[in-house]
Amino acid sequence: MRATSARRLRRLLGQVLFWAAIAAVLAFVLIPYGWMVSGSFKSTLELQSADVTRPGLEPSWIPRQPTLDNYRNVNRTVRIFDYFRNSLIISGGTMVLATSLAFFAGYALSRFAFPGRQPYVVSVLATQMLPGILFLIPYFILFTWMDRHLGVRLRDTYPGLIFTYTSFALPFSIVMLRSFLDTIPTELDEQAQIDGAGRLRTLFSVILPLATPALAAVAIYSFIMGWNEVLFASVLTGRRTKTIAIGLLEYITAQEARWTGMMAACIVTTLPVVVLFTLMQRYIVSGLVAGATKG
Amino acid sequence: MTMRANAALASAVRARPSGALGSLWRRIRANRIAYALILPAVLGMIFVHYLPMVWGLLVSLKEVNMYTVADWMHAPWVGLQNYATGFDPATRVGARFWRSLLNVTFFGAVTITAGYVIGMAVALLLNRPFPGQSLVRGLVLLPYITPDSVAYSVWRFIFQARIGLVNKWLLGLGLVEEPPIWLVGWRSIYAVMVAAIWKGWPFASLVLLAGLQSIPAEIHEAAMIDGASPWQRFWRVTLPLLAPVSRTLILMSILWNYNAFNQFFIMLGRDPGEAADVPSTLILRETFTSFNFGVGSAMSVALMIIMLVFTVLYLRALRSPAPLKEM
Repeated sequence: MRATSARRLRRLLGQVLFWAAIAAVLAFVLIPYGWMVSGSFKSTLELQSADVTRPGLEPSWIPRQPTLDNYRNVNRTVRIFDYFRNSLIISGGTMVLATSLAFFAGYALSRFAFPGRQPYVVSVLATQMLPGILFLIPYFILFTWMDRHLGVRLRDTYPGLIFTYTSFALPFSIVMLRSFLDTIPTELDEQAQIDGAGRLRTLFSVILPLATPALAAVAIYSFIMGWNEVLFASVLTGRRTKTIAIGLLEYITAQEARWTGMMAACIVTTLPVVVLFTLMQRYIVSGLVAGATKG
Repeated sequence: MTMRANAALASAVRARPSGALGSLWRRIRANRIAYALILPAVLGMIFVHYLPMVWGLLVSLKEVNMYTVADWMHAPWVGLQNYATGFDPATRVGARFWRSLLNVTFFGAVTITAGYVIGMAVALLLNRPFPGQSLVRGLVLLPYITPDSVAYSVWRFIFQARIGLVNKWLLGLGLVEEPPIWLVGWRSIYAVMVAAIWKGWPFASLVLLAGLQSIPAEIHEAAMIDGASPWQRFWRVTLPLLAPVSRTLILMSILWNYNAFNQFFIMLGRDPGEAADVPSTLILRETFTSFNFGVGSAMSVALMIIMLVFTVLYLRALRSPAPLKEM
């Protein structure tokens, strides 16, 4: 009897420790979001007068006078809606272009043992690893040169950024799609061809529907990449195409720190990404893991 | 693959075999659809990756500055002078460059280790079934999917000296007398580390959890029957079986780390200060604030060479067979 009750106690203790650990992990993850939400409902005045050293004036979790002004005025000092639209266009364009190109390339790599395939795979994997800053300088110089000599404007235009981001999203997308397409049996292709379908017909009416989960993962990956990119956006965008990732930083200037407005804008910026991800979570997680761990 | 077989057959009938070159040509012809399919991606990558890489090399050998940038092809050659300037610890830029390499290495050593340990611990925790498992798994991914600009802006807010959460707690617990200034001076790199660990560990956890789930339950059962304690099972069974996944994950993190830019730029601005300067922020300033395109390119080429070494290691790790398959 004593042995079983001791075992029961140990199991109970194990349960308590387990849930305490889960709670600690969740707290670590969620506290910054809590502080962001709390900040977005504070009035500018409340935050300006807050001071950790003065009892009674410490920044609090619950806003003392909750207000919706930060959301109402989110577009007033910073043109955040314009930046939002720019980001949507650039990330959406990147998504469409990168997914289609990666689908073709991934299919070719998965189904054809063409001469030069191995070097191509290695070069794809290698470019994924090069420092972004290495490309930024030649780009800037090239864009400037094209503008002066050919009259083609790429800096501060949507196509310029979409083209750039597409190529950054491509290597990982190709690897991801290729490893997925490898799991679709080649007998399906052969069957379709016996039935008289050409290569392209097979690609679009047999493979495409089967590859939807992987395509969704690649699409979200490239969208999020465009939505998040900071380095190139900080140099290659301007008044007309500034993305939200850069625009967000405008709330804090040398003259004024509009933290409350910034927190409201942060929430507005995060929502589309979180919603997209939650809807597609199933697809993305497996795709990301495969892309990260398979060659 | 009937079509390919047909094409190969047809060309075999048509042409007499004429050595290795002839057969290569036939294989290329038989696969022409494949080339057409990869062409757009290849063109994109040539224009966006390979040509710029060559241009970057050229720029690093020329004196390209504010006056010569518009006509950079006719800028004067200066040989390796930009490299000499960029790496000479006696010059201002050179000293900053070595310091930035040191900073980013230290930063990576701490954040990658911490990210791996936390990621592993949480993966082990979430690997067993419990009520609400999928909700918890979704929630811990939040930092990973939150845009960098948002996550690091929030952490910048949290680390503010007078209105920040960190100092509120430190003072509340009586750990400090005066609120420390986090985002300026020697402390800044530690503030960025905390934020980067918070942002980075969920990905490690995601990958390790997938690795854990691929380990057959029988292996653990066998170890249990042999009387191995949970501690022994982790060190002797789980960890060795996760070695291939871990190796890829860590090498990939090292590569990403040398690219680190967003966390420093967003939390600390264009000039993070000497104690938290990293190659990307330094090169960006040197190029687009001081307009020394040549020196900036020389430093990026150096960074690329460092990363190429890790890339080769990474590709090797991807190729090496997983022990699970050997068993």
